[in-house]
Amino acid sequence: MSTQSTKAQRPASRSSIRKAERVRLGRGEVVSMVVLAVLVIVVSFPVVYALLNSFRNYAEITRDPMGLPTSFRFDNYVRLFQDTQYGEALWNTLVITVGTIVLLIALVPMAAYGIERIGGRTSRFIYILFIAGLMIPFQVRMIPLVSAMDDVGLYSTLTSVILVHLGGAASFGVLLYCSFIKGVPTEVEEAAHMDGAGRLRTFWTIVFPMLMPVTSAFIIIQALGLWNDFFIPLVFLDSSSAGTINVALSRMMGLLTSQWELIYTGAILAIVPSVIIFAAFQRYFIKGMSIGAVKG
Amino acid sequence: MSDREGQATAVATAVRLTGDGPLEPLAQPQGPGGDHPAADVAPVRVVSRRFRRQRWGMFMFILPALVVYLVMVILPSLQSLQLSLTDWDGVNSSYDYIGLRNYEEILGSGRFWNAVRNTLLLGLGSAVIINVISLVVALLLDKLNRGQGFFRTIVYLPALVSGFIAATIWKYMLNFNFGSVNTLLRDLGLGDLAQDWLGDSDLVVGVLLFIVCFTLGGNTTLIYLANLQSVPQELVEAAKIDGASNAKVFRFVTWPMLAGAVTVNMTLAVIAGWTIFDQVMVLTSGGPGFVSETMAFFIYKVGFGEYRAGYGSAAAIVLFIVVIVSTVLANRYMRKREIQA
Repeated sequence: MSTQSTKAQRPASRSSIRKAERVRLGRGEVVSMVVLAVLVIVVSFPVVYALLNSFRNYAEITRDPMGLPTSFRFDNYVRLFQDTQYGEALWNTLVITVGTIVLLIALVPMAAYGIERIGGRTSRFIYILFIAGLMIPFQVRMIPLVSAMDDVGLYSTLTSVILVHLGGAASFGVLLYCSFIKGVPTEVEEAAHMDGAGRLRTFWTIVFPMLMPVTSAFIIIQALGLWNDFFIPLVFLDSSSAGTINVALSRMMGLLTSQWELIYTGAILAIVPSVIIFAAFQRYFIKGMSIGAVKG
Repeated sequence: MSDREGQATAVATAVRLTGDGPLEPLAQPQGPGGDHPAADVAPVRVVSRRFRRQRWGMFMFILPALVVYLVMVILPSLQSLQLSLTDWDGVNSSYDYIGLRNYEEILGSGRFWNAVRNTLLLGLGSAVIINVISLVVALLLDKLNRGQGFFRTIVYLPALVSGFIAATIWKYMLNFNFGSVNTLLRDLGLGDLAQDWLGDSDLVVGVLLFIVCFTLGGNTTLIYLANLQSVPQELVEAAKIDGASNAKVFRFVTWPMLAGAVTVNMTLAVIAGWTIFDQVMVLTSGGPGFVSETMAFFIYKVGFGEYRAGYGSAAAIVLFIVVIVSTVLANRYMRKREIQA
C-alpha cells in the first residue's frame, strides 16, 4: 500500500498541522473509518452473496435464497468447466486481453512519440484526429465493422475483437502518452542518436523505459477494461465461438433453465483475475490514476 | 536510419549536453500543456537542425497505429454516415439510398425518444450520483491520518466488479420468486413491498439507475482524493483562523479548488453514461416491451436484432451528435466555472 509515498508528497506544513490536530480529529477519523467500512460492506454485498451461493446447489438456492452454504464444496466450480464452455471462454478472454495489450504497447507509445517529436501542424492534426476517437462511441462504428469483418472472413474470430479493441484504445493511449512525453527532455535522445543509435533503437532502449509510469498505468487500465468488456465480443463473436467469459455468462442466462449456481460461480471467477491484476499492480495503479488526475 | 551523420556531429553535442541541466525526465512527468518541449526552445544549431530534418522519417513511427486507427475507427464511422442514408438490412449485399427518411422516422419514433429519455436519466443521473458518492468517499478518506492506504484499497475493491458482473448478480437477486431481495422483504414481514423489480414498467428504469450507481466510484474517487490532497493546507488554515465553519471552508476553499477534477470526472461519467448498455442487456433486454431501452441498446437491437442496419446507423449518428454536443457544452460550461473560481 502506497501510504508512504502519498504522505511524502504532501507539503511538510500539512503533516505538522495534522499532528497538532490529532487529538481533536480523533473522533472525526473514527467516524470516517466506520462510515467507509459500512459503505464498503453494503456495496460488496452482491459479490459476497454470489460467492456464498457459488457453494450451494440450485435446489438450496431456490428453497432459501438467503440461506448460507452448508459446506464448502467446489462442485459448481468443477461443473462450470465440465458442463459449459466457460473454460474455453476464459482462455479466449485471456487471449484477447493479452493480445490487445501487447499490440497496443507495440504501436501506441511509438506513435505518440512520433507525434510529439515531429511537432508542427501536421502532427497536431494527427493528434487531434486520434483524440477525436474519444468522442466516437463504439455503437457508431459497430454496424459497418461487423459487415467489414464478415467480408474479410474475420467475423467471429478473436482477431476481429482484438482489432476493434485496438482502434478504440488507441485514442486514450495517444492522449496519455503524448501528455507524458511532452515532459521528457530531448537531450538524452539526441545524445543516444549521436552515439550511433538509430531512431527506432533510441526509442525502444532510451525513451520507452522512461515511459514506464504511463505504460504501467495504461496496461492496468486497459487490462481491467478488456477483461470486463462485454459489448464488443457480444457483437463480434457468434455461437461458433465460445465467446468471452461475459458472453458465455450471458448465453447461460439466456437459457430457459438458467442454472443460477453456475452463473454465480462464473461471476465470481470472472472477478478473480481483476482482483489479482489490482493486487499485483496496486501501487502503479493508484499512482497512475493520480498522474492523470492532478493534470486535469 | 542516418547513423553516419550522427557520429560525425557527436562531438558537437557532447559539449552541449554537459552544459544542459540534469537529465531527470521522470521528475516532471507532466510537462506544461500546450507548447512543444525543449527542442524548440533550445538554441538552433547545425546538429539539432539535422536532427529535426530526420524527424520526417519519424512518420513511420506513427503510421502503423494511424492505419489501425483509421481502418477501425474513422473509416467505419464515415461508413455509418453513408449507411444511415440507406435502407440496408445488414444481410443483403444491395441497398438503396433513401435520403433522410431514416432520420425522419427516428425523430418521429416514440420508441426512440423513450430511449433518449432513459439515456438522459441513466447517463446524467448516474454521472451526478456517482460523482457525489465519490466526492463524499474521497472527503472521508482525506480525513484519515492513519490507515488511509488500507481504506483507499478496500474502497477501490468494489470497482473491480464490472458493470456486467454486478448486473448479472443483481438479476438473480431481484428475481420475483426466488430473489434474495424479495425473500428478505417477505422474511421481514414486508411482503407487500416485494415487487417484480425488473418487470414493472414504472419501476424498471429506477432500478437500473440504482444498480448503475451501486458503487463507491473507484477511479472517480481516486481522482477526487488526489486533487483533495493537492489543496494547499495553508488556505484551509487561513480560512479557519478567519472563523469559517467546516461547511464554509468546503464551499469557498476546497470546492473551487476541485473544479478541474469535477470537470474531468463529470465529462468521463457523462461519456460513459451515454453508452450504458451492459446493465440493460443483462437485466431487462430493454423490456418490458421497449420501456427500458437506452440509445446504445436501441442501436444494437435495431441494427442486429431487427435487421435494419441503415436505420440503426442513423440512430448511431444521432448518438454521436449527442455525445459531441454534450461533451463540448459540458466542457465549455465547466471550464468557465473553473476560471471564475
